[in-house]
Parts: sequence; structure tokens; C-alpha cells
Amino acid sequence: MADELINLTIDGAPVSVPKGTLVIEAAKQAGVLVPHYCYHPGLPVAGVCRMCLVEIEKAPKLQIACATQVAEGMVVRTQSPQAKQGRMGVLELLLINHPLDCPICDQAGECELQDFTFQEGRPATRYSPDYAKRFNPVEDFGPDVLYVPNRCILCTRCVRFMEDVAKEPVLNVSERGDRAFIGIHPEARLDHPWAGNVVDLCPVGSLLSKDFLHKARAWELDKTASICTGCSQGCNVTLDTRDNIVVRVRPRPNLDVNRYFICDHGRMNYRWMNRGDRIEAPLVQRDGELHAADWDEACERVATLLRGAGGRAVALVSPKASTEALFLARELFTGLDWTGAFQVVMGEEAPLAGVPNLALRAERAPNAKGAELLGYTRDYAAALAAAESAAIVLVLDEPDLVVRTAGTIIYVGTVLPDRARAATVVLPIANVAEEDGTFVNRDGRAQRYFQAKPAPGMARPAWWVFSELAAAAGRGERIGSADEAFERLSASVDGLRGLVPA
Amino acid sequence: MSVTAHPSSTPAGTDAYDPVFSGAVLEQLGEILARYPTKQAGLLPALWIVQRARGWISDRNMAEVAEVLGLTPAYVKGVVTFYTMYHQHPVGKHFVQVCTTSPCNICGAEAVAKAFLETTGAKELGATSPDGKWTVIEVECLGACGFATPVLVDDDFIESVTPDKVPELVRKYK
Amino acid sequence: MGYPHKPHPRETVVLSKYFGDADARTYKGWVKRGGYEMLAQALTMEPAKVIDIVKESGLRGRGGAGFPTGLKWSFMPKEKKKPHYLCVNADESEPGTFKDREIMRWTPHALLEGSAIAAHAIQAEVVYIYIRGEFTEPWTYMERALAEASAAKVFGAIKIYLHRGAGAYICGEETALMNSIEGKRGNPRIKPPFPAAAGVFGMPTTINNVETLAAIPPILKQGAAWYKGLSLSSPKSSGTKLFSVCGHVQKPGNYEVTMGFPLKDLVYELCGGMRSGRTLKACIPGGSSVPILNREETESCLLDYEGVVERGSMLGSGGVIVFDDSADMVYQIMRLARFYAHESCAQCTQCREGTAWTTKILERILAGQGKMADLDLLLDLSENMTGKTICVLSDSCAAPVVSGIKRFKNEFEDYIAGRRKPVMVA
Repeated sequence: MADELINLTIDGAPVSVPKGTLVIEAAKQAGVLVPHYCYHPGLPVAGVCRMCLVEIEKAPKLQIACATQVAEGMVVRTQSPQAKQGRMGVLELLLINHPLDCPICDQAGECELQDFTFQEGRPATRYSPDYAKRFNPVEDFGPDVLYVPNRCILCTRCVRFMEDVAKEPVLNVSERGDRAFIGIHPEARLDHPWAGNVVDLCPVGSLLSKDFLHKARAWELDKTASICTGCSQGCNVTLDTRDNIVVRVRPRPNLDVNRYFICDHGRMNYRWMNRGDRIEAPLVQRDGELHAADWDEACERVATLLRGAGGRAVALVSPKASTEALFLARELFTGLDWTGAFQVVMGEEAPLAGVPNLALRAERAPNAKGAELLGYTRDYAAALAAAESAAIVLVLDEPDLVVRTAGTIIYVGTVLPDRARAATVVLPIANVAEEDGTFVNRDGRAQRYFQAKPAPGMARPAWWVFSELAAAAGRGERIGSADEAFERLSASVDGLRGLVPA
Repeated sequence: MSVTAHPSSTPAGTDAYDPVFSGAVLEQLGEILARYPTKQAGLLPALWIVQRARGWISDRNMAEVAEVLGLTPAYVKGVVTFYTMYHQHPVGKHFVQVCTTSPCNICGAEAVAKAFLETTGAKELGATSPDGKWTVIEVECLGACGFATPVLVDDDFIESVTPDKVPELVRKYK
Repeated sequence: MGYPHKPHPRETVVLSKYFGDADARTYKGWVKRGGYEMLAQALTMEPAKVIDIVKESGLRGRGGAGFPTGLKWSFMPKEKKKPHYLCVNADESEPGTFKDREIMRWTPHALLEGSAIAAHAIQAEVVYIYIRGEFTEPWTYMERALAEASAAKVFGAIKIYLHRGAGAYICGEETALMNSIEGKRGNPRIKPPFPAAAGVFGMPTTINNVETLAAIPPILKQGAAWYKGLSLSSPKSSGTKLFSVCGHVQKPGNYEVTMGFPLKDLVYELCGGMRSGRTLKACIPGGSSVPILNREETESCLLDYEGVVERGSMLGSGGVIVFDDSADMVYQIMRLARFYAHESCAQCTQCREGTAWTTKILERILAGQGKMADLDLLLDLSENMTGKTICVLSDSCAAPVVSGIKRFKNEFEDYIAGRRKPVMVA
């Protein structure tokens, strides 16, 4: 049964939305952003900040768009003088106790109080300098969150998130009137596995991440869409980079996967993307030592190994590798007796109680499912046993792995393993922040991530490496892009058939 | 930026805490809870029981109430700090509330408050007198405006108080 | 008015008939005076019939909003699918109002009987009487009366419970009251949903004021037509009202008069007029949340819902605060603003910040540091605080400020110009 559609007019534009839609959401269809603070599509409606006041024809008073449902024939005016005056009044009142902290506040540049004040606020304050502003000392709420009460506008997004989404009411509103602030019981800490989201939700610089504190200015950041590598949930994230260093990870909305949130494990899981101790050049064995070489030489060396090999090939791969890389790594060994395997680090699952099917998953890797779809097995012990008598063993980005084999080891990875000398060829690759690629999450959803910074030295995306190796060994065509790689694999892999990169 | 850190959490029961809700008191709470479809609705009554038993409501008391009612300590604290009649610190043996909102204000309420401060030795509103016997505060409308100035001394609602009546009143409470 | 004085001949004594009569507080005493007869009768009637009678009587809510009671009851679902609740608003905290206190102190059974009849009419099986925490004396009398009446089994299947508040004026707002009963902070809720659809515990609920419910037994006994006939002026305002008169009058107290009674007569005749040598300067007719009237308006005002609106204010709770010429209007308006700032629940930006800022500006004027621009600022602030929030506490703070500046501008100007000595320190 189709949803009944309601027709209304917002700022002169006709809009058609399902019955039950809030005016503030319907306005987005008309290309209108109604200024707001306490409203958030991922949280229950509060209607307290009063910022989203709009004029609705036939209503005697201004209405808040976040709590008003659309009605047939409704006429909404967000820019009427009355509505603008109402919102200007709210902004003025929010600023009377708000400190002029912009020069030292992390939120500057991505602050909704700045944005809407600039857009609709008063040019100057009427709050006499004779009055002191409300003052409360900064509080440390827990592992990563600082609370600056002076900047708080009491939108209560954080309280509602912890109560209704995390289902652990550890934050409250304390006191009454203009003495109110966000409180926490002295015996409690904000250490819920998803608590970091309150920092994102805070429209101003009141709740801050200790990890990000004073690290970078919002306008210095480049933002790239990516997928979290922390577990198999596949939360959509944005990597914020400054001068090619990843400085912050934030959630990217995806209503089907992670809604508006990521867990703290994923949020903090980025420092390794900036590691300096990377393999920066291909390495080949010569006279018992690994020597730096160029790609041509390295590829030729591998090609030689492949041409001479008969029998068994074993690939021991990381479930963090992209689907494209895993596909081409498999294709490389066509014709050989091939075993591919991976193992996943496990951890404790931590669901976000208020959202169905969203949790920090026990499988702490982003592409186990992708590996599965490509025929890699989880029977690691068997693969290790097979490796002992294999002609070629490919190890893909598992630096701690100890492999015993009579054959040759080709190591393709980001970081140089301790036992590198056991390998005949070592090839440097990009990490998730340095390439385009695809992960398949635990539900079989293929999701794209994009390059946020350049790979160091001569490192290349793994899909490119395997494509070059295949070409050098005469076993396949060169592939020009990650997109092309995906198109090739989606033509032949069950579960990914027919998908095209967006 | 100076920061106030929260002490690491102390698991309940490691220090010697004397629970309020045990035995007869717990039974009393049970009777009250039967009046409502949710345990949460027993929060205000439970807090009154604590204040009656201990004179004030400490953070530790709040944690106990939370446990008994299936709420979080933070939630209980949010409620306690909303309602001004719950004491979050110990107060004097006698707690005096003097109404000074406009209807009583124009009938000399502020002089009554001042008289209490002087007579009890509490000196400042909200402070406890040096002998620990008195705390005096100004409150908003007590709902007895025609009997100005009304004063609550503990649970005793006293009407028509004037400054000259204060010394005798104070004497009555030892 | 009954207590502590005998009724004035011009009073129409219905609710206050037994004020001062200690025997009426007891169950036996109340029964002797005809009590609980109407409840017994109502319990045999169809709920819809009871609602019709109350609708016909023209009774309007006596807490302050003046909403027609029968109409409010009719909003409850006719077909009972979920538990229904009646909440009795005994949170009386509106400055100037002290009538519900008297009803509970002197005629607790009247409230119990009226509540039970109302519960029957709206098909509620549970009644919560929310009594403000400071009302220790009314609580004691209500508790005693409830125990006696329950023991006599007069309420049938209806369960009545007392629930104690803990110091928050805002809990007198009906949705905040429900939240407070549920064990939450007393924050008003956004509407819709309305209480009759989803109220306390999410169930259909009606909230009524104490005085409203105390009028139900007399209405059932003497009939809707009788109650409707009790009006001196407007047909839209029927029955009697307990007016709580306080401030600068000789005989403050509760006076029960019919709707339409002249405010002038209430003040000068029933209350004995002003103190010796004083003249009336201002009057707030309906509790501090309604606009202040000047002398001319006061002396020509009729006390019913429409009459007071005509003079530029509202009947509200009927808390009549009288100021004579000795009153410092600027100081008292500041004190009211401070009241609202103290009581704001902190949800809405305009109320949370605006009430405090308003207070600060007024304090500064009283400290001799005000400017003329401050008056424009106060008016502009008041406009931003009116009609834009979840509840009307914000509007209530604006009412005395706007009406005060309009009618007593000279007093403000005296402070600003330095013609009057500062009474506060900055």
C-alpha cells in the first residue's frame, strides 16, 4: 500500500511528501534548510531550541517546523518577516551567555551557531557588558569527551542520544532555568562504546573530542568518503585529512547501514593510516638480501616465479584488503591448484541498542564477506598446512604471520614484516585511505571508499599491483582503474553480479 | 583550560553505605509503587522517603534510588536537581522557607526573611547557622498570599508572620 | 468567605460554605451536610449524561485557562480501549492565588467527591491528586479525608491517590504535571499529542483544577440551569468563583462571588478597601501571569472571562493582587520576573535566557544604571518571549513587563532619569 502523499507549498515551491512527514523534512525537498539545533532525524523530536520557527498560513502563532506534520494545502513561509524575527530572537538569546570563544573553539568553521548567526542573527549584541556571562568549569565526562558548559545551548541532543539511541541514560539536564547544564552522575563516566557520537551531534563546541582537541581547524580539512575498517558492519565514514594526514574520522549518514553514527572503536581507528614505517619501494631478493627495485624489475621477478611454477599456490590474505585486490589476487593464480584463506581478529560485540542491526561487530575486519564471496576460506589452519608444500605463497598485508614453506613467498603489504627476509619479493601497497576500493559488509552490501591522501613512496593500490603482475606474467590484461576492476569482478562473482560503481 | 575530572567510579558497596530502602521502608515503597503502572513514577515519592530519613539526598542515595527503581544514577540526579525542595546538601536542623514573591513582598516579606536571618544567626540566605540549628531561604509563592507572610518551618506552615513574631517563633523550635 | 471571616452578604457561598467549619472536614460531618449523595447518584448514571450536565452548566476551568470543563471531558475516548486517568491539579503556585489550598484544608471531601464524579464521567479508574510539596497542611487533611472516605467505600472501583510535588511552579502546567507524576523532570510537553489522546503514561488523561472539581457536586445537586444562572453579566461565564484577594487591602482572603461581579466592589466593599490614607494604584486580577491593570481599569472591570479581557487583562486563576500608591511597581515587576526566571524549566531558549535577562535589566534599572533604550529592549524581549514557546511561562513573564511599562512608564523613567534613588546595588 503506497504512502498517502500530501501536497503543500513551502516558500512558494510545491512539495509532495508522504503523510506524517515533518515540515522541516518536507522543506528539504523544496531546497530549504530551516535553521535548527535540537532537531535531528536520528533522535526523537524535542522541540526545545525554538530555532526552527516558521510561519504557517492560518496558524495564529509561529510554529516549530520540527514538530509540525504536513497537511494538505498547507502554506509555509520560512522567510516571512515574522518568522525571521522569531529566529533572530532565539539567536540573540542563545548568544547572551555564549562566550566569544570562536578563536579557541574547535567547532569554529563547522559550528551551526556561527552559521545561523551569520545568516540570520543580530549584527551586535544588546546584552550589556555589565552583566557577567554564565560560567561553569570544563568537565571531563569520560574516555574521549570533554564538556564545556559555557558554550552549551541546551539543545539536549546528547541527552536524547544516550537515552533513546544508546539506551543508557548517563547524561542528564541538571538544575533549572538559566542555571541548567548537562550533567553526569559522579559515579558514572561516558564510556559507552557509542558515546563519541555526542560530539558529532553537538551543534556547537560544547562537547569536544579529546582526541581531536586543538588538532586542526575545520576549514583546513579535506573530507573524503570512506568506509570504516574497524569491523564488518561497514559504517560509512568521512576521513578528515589535513596536509595529507588523517586527523579525524566521522560518521557519514547511511540510513541502511549505520544511520548517523559510528562506534568509538571505529572513530579512534585511524592512526595506523598515518604510519610512517611503510614499505616505500618494491624489494627483491638478491644474494640473500632484499634490495630496493623498481616496479618493472619486481613484476618481472614475480612473472618468472609464476611462469616456472606448477602445482599449488596458497594465498593468505588480510580481510582488510579491497574486493578488487582480492579478486585480482585470485585471478593471478588461475590454472594453479589454488587455496585462498583469511583469518579475522575477533572482539566483543557492542550493539547500538536503539538502532536495529547496528553494532560494533565481533569480526574486526571490513571485508571478510568480500573475501568469502571470492572463494577465500576461513579454514586458516588447512591453508597454512597447504602452504608448507606449496610452490608459491602469497601473503597479502599480514605482517605478523609466520609461514613455513618450501616454496617462494611473495609479500604484498603496507608495513614491512619482521620476517621479511623470508620473502622473495616484497611489494608496497596503499592502505584504505590511499586508494579507491570496495568492501563487502556482513550483510553482503558492497560499499565504495575513496582515496583521501597519496600513498607513500612507490606504494600502489593492491588491485594495481595484481593487475601489473598478471600482465607481466601474461596471465591477464592491464586494468586501468579500481572501477574497471570492480566491473570485471561483478560480472563473474555471485553476490556482486550486476553491481556498478556509483 | 582547567578541567574538573570525575573520580573513577567506585563500585557500589565498597564503602560502608547504609541503604535507606530495606525492611519496612522497602515495603512502604512497594505499596507506593503499586499505585503506578511504572516503577519510574515512584521516583518523587522515593526521594521524599530518602529526604525524610536522612535529611538530604546525597549522590550515593541517588545511586541507591536508581538501583531500586531500575533507573540510572544520572537520571535520578537530573530529577533531583530540578525540584527545589530536595536538598542536595545537609541543612540545619530547622529549615525555614520565607515567601518573598510580589504579593507577600508588598506586605513586608523581605523584612520577615531578614528577621529570621538575624534571630537565628544564619546571617546569609542558604547558609546554616554556626550552631547548625537553622538554615533560612527565600522561596517563591507558597500559595497563601492572603495570609502574608507565610513561612514554612520544616513541615509546619505558619501564616501571617511579621518581623515582631519571629523571635517567639524561633524560640519555639529547639 | 468563611475563614477567617464570616461571608459577606454580597458573596454567593457555594464552594466556601463550610470554610472554617472543622466538622465538615470529617467524613461523617460531610455526609451529614449532604456529602457523597451526588457521587452515589452519578455512579448510577451514564458517563455521557454526567458530561452533558457539566457542559450545560457552562463550568470553565478555574485553574487559569478557563477552558469549558464539559467540553474537555468530552475529548476523552467514548469507547474505552485503554486505562483512563484523571489528574487533579493541586499544584497551586500562581502568585496571588490561594483558593485551592482552602478547599483542601476545609472541604477535602468536596474535592474527593468532585474528583470521583469526574473520574466516572471520563471512565477513569485511577485519580492522581498532585499536591505541591509545600502544602503540608492541605496534604494532611486530604490524606485523612481520603482514608476515611475510602474506608467507607464511597468511590466504588475508582482509586484515588495523592502524589506529592517537590517545588516547581511549572508542574502546574498540565503536561508538566503529567511528566512529574511519571517520575521525570517537570518539563511541559509539545502538543499534539493532547492529554485526552496520550497523557500520563501515554494513556487518555484529563487534568482539572481543584476549584473546578469542587464545583461538580453542587452542579449535579442543584442542576446545570442553576449554575448557569449564577452570572451577573456574560452568558459565557457562569457560576461562582473564589477570588483570592491579597496585597494592600484591609481584609485579604478568599471571596466567593458570581461571575460578572464588579472588581471595584470586591476590593472596596468586601475587602474593606485600601489601608488608611492609601489609594489604589494597580491591580493584577488573575494571578501574576496576566497583565496589570491601572486604577481606572480596575474600578471599571467586571469579573468574568470576557469582562477582564475587555479591560486588557485576563481572569486567569482569579488571584487578585492589589497594589496601593506605596508600591514600587518597578521593583515588584522585577520581583515577578525573578520568580519566572527561577521557575523556568530550561527547555525553550526564549524562556530560559529571556526571563533571566529581563530580570537583569530590571535590576539594573533599580540600581540606577538603566537607560531609556532598556525599555525598548524589554518590550522587544517580551515580544520574542510571547507565543513562541512550548508553554506560556515565557509569555507570563512578559505580561507584567509589557503592561507595567505601558501603564507605569513614569515609574521606570524616574529610576532611569535619577529622579528616584536606586533601591538595589548593581
